[in-house]
Amino acid sequence: MNEMQPNTIGTPVRFPFRLRTDGILARILWAIGLSIVCAAGLIALADKNPLVAFSAMLAGAFGSAHQIGVALNKASPYLFAGSGLAICFRAGVINMGSDGQIAFGGIGAMATIMAWPGEPGLAAVIVALLAAAFCGGLWAGLATAIHLGRGVNEVLVTLLLNFVALLFVQLVLSGVLGQTGAGFLQSPLVPRTAWLWRVPLFDFHIGIAVAALGAGLLSFILWKTPFGFAVRVAGRSRLATAYAGFSLAGITWGVMLSAGALAGLAGGTEVLGLHHRLIEGFSSGFGFKAVTVALFGALEPAAVIPAAIFIGLLETGALSMQRQIGVPSALVVVIEAMTMLFILIATVRRS
Amino acid sequence: MAALLEMRAIAKYYGPVRANDGIDLDVRAGEIVGLLGENGSGKSTLMKVLFGIVPPDSGGIVFRGRELSGHRPREAMGAGIAMIHQHFMLIDAMTVLENVMLGWAEAGKVLRRGLIAQRVHEVSRRLGLDLDPHARVADLPLGRRQRIEILKAVLRNAELLILDEPTSNLAPGEVHDLLTILSRLRSEGRGIVFITHKLPEVLDVCDSVVVLRAGKASPKASVVGVSKSQLAEMMVGRDVAAPHILKKIDNQPLRLEARALTGAGLGPLDLELRGGEILGIAGVDGNGQFELAETLSGLRPAVSGSLRLDGRDIVRMSSARRTRVGLAYMPADRSATALVKSMSIAENLMLRDSRRRPYCRNGLLDQGATVEKANSLMAQFDIRARSADTKAGSLSGGNQQKIVIARELDRAPAVLVAHQPTWGLDPGATRFVLERIVALRDGGAAIVYISSELEEILAISDRIAVLSAGRFAGLVKREAVEKAQLGLWMSGRTA
Repeated sequence: MNEMQPNTIGTPVRFPFRLRTDGILARILWAIGLSIVCAAGLIALADKNPLVAFSAMLAGAFGSAHQIGVALNKASPYLFAGSGLAICFRAGVINMGSDGQIAFGGIGAMATIMAWPGEPGLAAVIVALLAAAFCGGLWAGLATAIHLGRGVNEVLVTLLLNFVALLFVQLVLSGVLGQTGAGFLQSPLVPRTAWLWRVPLFDFHIGIAVAALGAGLLSFILWKTPFGFAVRVAGRSRLATAYAGFSLAGITWGVMLSAGALAGLAGGTEVLGLHHRLIEGFSSGFGFKAVTVALFGALEPAAVIPAAIFIGLLETGALSMQRQIGVPSALVVVIEAMTMLFILIATVRRS
Repeated sequence: MAALLEMRAIAKYYGPVRANDGIDLDVRAGEIVGLLGENGSGKSTLMKVLFGIVPPDSGGIVFRGRELSGHRPREAMGAGIAMIHQHFMLIDAMTVLENVMLGWAEAGKVLRRGLIAQRVHEVSRRLGLDLDPHARVADLPLGRRQRIEILKAVLRNAELLILDEPTSNLAPGEVHDLLTILSRLRSEGRGIVFITHKLPEVLDVCDSVVVLRAGKASPKASVVGVSKSQLAEMMVGRDVAAPHILKKIDNQPLRLEARALTGAGLGPLDLELRGGEILGIAGVDGNGQFELAETLSGLRPAVSGSLRLDGRDIVRMSSARRTRVGLAYMPADRSATALVKSMSIAENLMLRDSRRRPYCRNGLLDQGATVEKANSLMAQFDIRARSADTKAGSLSGGNQQKIVIARELDRAPAVLVAHQPTWGLDPGATRFVLERIVALRDGGAAIVYISSELEEILAISDRIAVLSAGRFAGLVKREAVEKAQLGLWMSGRTA
């Protein structure tokens, strides 16, 4: 009997996934178990003993305090960028530009240190991190301006600007920020006084702590403020967003700039805490790991923290497995990807 | 002439709603039957039953002497029934020829382009369709696209064509051409069911007419010798119900005033609405109702003109500011605009007020106060759910609409714009919504009530305006209503 209602078409639900919380632990264990079985098969195909490989992996991830520290250092940029992406996804803004925003954060931090008059100290570190956040935000802001101003799909804009940003890193490294005569595109070393503090014994830099704080803050904003409410409505229905009186442009700016600033911090902490210099291509591929992590975060912001740490552990373990028993590095990537895929399948459902 | 289609005592119920309540429909070969009726009168359901999209609860269909039951659209098409929808099922990027061949077995496993193109030419010439088989659909005007659908039906040997409001998207010249094509199809001995709201077209081309009202059909009547006003009367019914509102409210201040309000597909409109008054806006769907609702509520910009609420010009205000100064809005689209279905009742109740008390304190959302408020509104507006945490989407349509009305009325608005507020609701929920709106009126608010259900408009309005092609075709006091006149205004031509 219902006549078709005109003008009610075209109302996409922007983020049609939800976390399956019933028996989630059991399902995650299942997923990990399945990926172990598949990984074992692949390792056996590569003519290695899976048991030896797995013990190398475990030792690599948890073998010593130092190994755990390495894993946390790996998790840090994923957590920074991933939590920012999570709030974008929540708003239905598909930001694929973490790589570029991280790269710009790195440039911002390195440029600040190099331009600092005299011996850079704590003040220089703080200003450099702020500059990193600013530059990351700037790059995200450029994408947002193009997206909102010209109506270009945000996936396209953010993704393509990544390439520009990577080339921009090359440009500055072969010019003002470059180390002359290095034979490789990199900046001079950051003076030891401006390195991020590292936790003794574990030896990880405090980036991960800042990142966890950032993720916590975003979670608070999302659930406890009217802006967060607007973000949640925007991710579900664009029509309801307009009806509720929220500005979609304002929401998009808010989440993109937050995500850009956090990604910029990821770049800044990589430079100041890990590499101690800006290196060509230091951010490549981070963005896509961040998307994986963010997928959990978009469902439940708190989940982005364990997800990032899990990827960090998985990577460290897999790399150590590669070093110890010499499985091909491509296989390591396959195992990583497979594990994430299984976990996503086990925990996410279309709603 | 031979009977082509006989539908007997078709009944289809959706819960308590009798969409089709024992309808008979006969179509003979070489006959065009006009199927008239307001929205919700059961036309679409009847055609869905015929085409096998929904099974009837009872009744039988005989098509070309064979019983048709338990069929699906594929079998209906195979038997020779073709349905031409209001929105064409064509692929824009493909050519006419490719669209004709799509999903058609006779086009061959290896496509016989030449042969089919020739047949397209042939039929096109015979019926005067004027279609180039190699033209891209995207480049064709809507009228031509519709002819592709007709072409497809004819090539597939359809004996009965059902056209669902075929003229609603067409320019006047195209309408004329379509009617000519229909006459040619008739002279080839095909039967046509022509679903429409527009009376002049019925008089122009149909042989006979069946009018549906509230799930029941009038006996088939010949069009010869029938006047427009008789048809209009058949369509809207003769029995003018007594107005439900007895208490008159006089000497109220002017609350909403529009002067030459113009927007895309709307106006210019003039409007004056006093407190304690319900202005019912009737009309056939798609005549600017949605545009009017959105322009008044600020979701769509006005091109020119003024709009004053309690004397204050709000025409440049955003929707959020209009809400703050006392304009409430119930959109027709509950599922994606008025509600966020995957959110809880409490969150939906605060949807448009999340920056105000009690939902927000010192810039932060106050969860406790939100739940408390939600519980009190749920009790006040009889929203039946387990708790305020229940997802809005899991509720019945009536309870969903109660969330919307609770939210909009709790602000004690000066003006309420309600667009199809009872759409899809059962009688109990409908009564509840209408009572609340009348109570708001009695409290001194002004209400713009937009609906395509004429009975409802008649039941609660103080004045009635008819919207046609984005403008008011007429405005009349409730006491002075003549239904035939309303029907004429709705049909798009003044008598």
